[in-house]
Amino acid sequence: MQLSFAPLKGNSRNYKILVGVLAALVAAGLIAYLVAYAYGFRLWGVNNSVTWGQLITVDFFFIGLSAGSLVVSSLVYVFGQEKYKPIGRMAVYMGLLLMMGAMFTVLTDLGRLEKFWRLFMYFYLSNMKSMFGINGIFYAGYILLLGTYLVAALSNSKLTKFIAPVAVLWAMLVHMGTGAIVGFIETRHIMYSPLKPIEFVSAAFASGLALVTLLSYLTLRFSKRPINKDMFVSLGKLLVALILILMVLVTVDKLTHFYPPKREAVMFLIAGPWAWIFWLQVALGYFIPLGILCNPWLRKKVGWVIAACAICVVGIFFERAAIIFPGLSQPLEYYPGEIAGIWGARGGFLIMPAETLQTLGIVALLGLLFVLGLKFMDLTPAPAEGEHAQAEATEQAAPAAEGGHT
Amino acid sequence: MANWSMVIDLDKCVGCQACSLACKAENNVPHGSPHEHKRHHDIFWHKVIAASEGEYPSVNTQIIPMPCMHCDHPPCVNVCPSKATYKRGDGIVMQNFRRCLGCRYCIVACPYGARSFNFKDQEDEEYQRPDLPPDLDLSYGGHIGPWPYPHRTRGVVEKCTYCFHRIDQALQNGQEVGTKLDGNHGVLPACVEACPTEARFFGDLDDPDSAVHKIMASRGPFKLREDMLTSPKTIYLPR
Repeated sequence: MQLSFAPLKGNSRNYKILVGVLAALVAAGLIAYLVAYAYGFRLWGVNNSVTWGQLITVDFFFIGLSAGSLVVSSLVYVFGQEKYKPIGRMAVYMGLLLMMGAMFTVLTDLGRLEKFWRLFMYFYLSNMKSMFGINGIFYAGYILLLGTYLVAALSNSKLTKFIAPVAVLWAMLVHMGTGAIVGFIETRHIMYSPLKPIEFVSAAFASGLALVTLLSYLTLRFSKRPINKDMFVSLGKLLVALILILMVLVTVDKLTHFYPPKREAVMFLIAGPWAWIFWLQVALGYFIPLGILCNPWLRKKVGWVIAACAICVVGIFFERAAIIFPGLSQPLEYYPGEIAGIWGARGGFLIMPAETLQTLGIVALLGLLFVLGLKFMDLTPAPAEGEHAQAEATEQAAPAAEGGHT
Repeated sequence: MANWSMVIDLDKCVGCQACSLACKAENNVPHGSPHEHKRHHDIFWHKVIAASEGEYPSVNTQIIPMPCMHCDHPPCVNVCPSKATYKRGDGIVMQNFRRCLGCRYCIVACPYGARSFNFKDQEDEEYQRPDLPPDLDLSYGGHIGPWPYPHRTRGVVEKCTYCFHRIDQALQNGQEVGTKLDGNHGVLPACVEACPTEARFFGDLDDPDSAVHKIMASRGPFKLREDMLTSPKTIYLPR
């Protein structure tokens, strides 16, 4: 089947409003960052105990989503599953955007943004024993690969077949590396686990697949493009498998740390002050989507599949938050006994306007680039014959939900 | 080359915090405010913790002064992506403000909470001595010794340096460094010098004649969080 792609016209009122709103959010985020940079990060919620905050959480989340997007695209370009072709290009584009978003978050999280280039002076100025330093190679290579991949996919080049497998394998490296950033830190017992890199890849695949399914459905729906329901239902089945793998990994990880008598870290995670984050992860990330997708009636209805995907994406966001916030706020045991004052208190975290606006701004920036990409690149399948005229007349952009997919 | 080490005798320590104050004065560390302290935004190169076990009346409180442990296997040096934190040949773990990106990975990795992020520029009303390091520029070679970095800025991570500027300056001038058992001390880090009960000792661990070397053989010295295998060089004598 020869599938043709065509951009959105992007003339409708809704499209313009969406672009305007997203652009305003981006501007607000930029101003928030500049103010925070000028006044120091005291304007943020981060502090000396919970030293990574919203931005790093979103960073891990975006990196994961990016990998998952690539996996969906690999169904088309590596495994030759033609039925997924309508969303293949969108998946590649989203993979690139999300990775760029991850870079925006991690770089603006640096106290001194102007020195970021030091991260990319491999083996010369950067420390190659640092997981962060090693990931510098992975991230830069990944963005280059994704750019090439997107150009190849857009031009239907034969090269796609060669780039796609490399990009997917590289995506695994990127996400295992990111998992290692937290997984190799013995000091923080909630983070420390040999399973973390694999858990990250698994969570990445599940959340990314869910996000691509969600966004591509919304895009096709609101741009009145043809929707192949079977494709979305089968993506739902794939999501079940990925969530199950993730659940097993998380359970084994937590059980390993729960089984021995030294189980404070797990208890802090599942019953401590931040326990709600973990239980939201479990409920929204695993149980509710599985409940929907394993139900013999609901799993055949596209609307329910999409709802399950949306819930799963939110749940995996909490999975990232459940690494950062409880992981960092658990007090360090300098010495046995109860340590008085701030040194023994668990870390707190305030939701501060500057940090939140910046996070929203970066999310809005990705939404904006996605929406503009739909207009200026051949990402969506062309409207079906006959519906062409009508579709163009009523064409609308993807809904605002895209801007707020966290 | 020397292998600098600090021994803190917990039996002598009275928890007066003179060491913390001396550190703030010597290294020009911002004193912070109650508000900042509540939000855990203030900078400490040295802290004193009190760990209690048991319930009143059978309670035991252990007061432990904690500078940087200057580990032999420092996790912070491993994780720093930009070589901003590194171990010198004499074992002092340094933080170069000029290289530091402010990614705060080292704070995540440090098992001793020895590192602080600088959340703001020092304000005028704060205690500020532009004539003291690290607010001096690179060209300064005066009484306080050479500092490898320009001046303090916000957005980077700071930590204890064992007052390396004093040590380097002393070695340059041919002075003695470290605690002497006979009381004729050489040049010492500010916290060691300030301790009113002489609970702190500083010196070369590899030198068999040094005070720290001899004290190490006395009363079952221990290190904090030995299970982390970081082998700290700030060592404690039990109470």
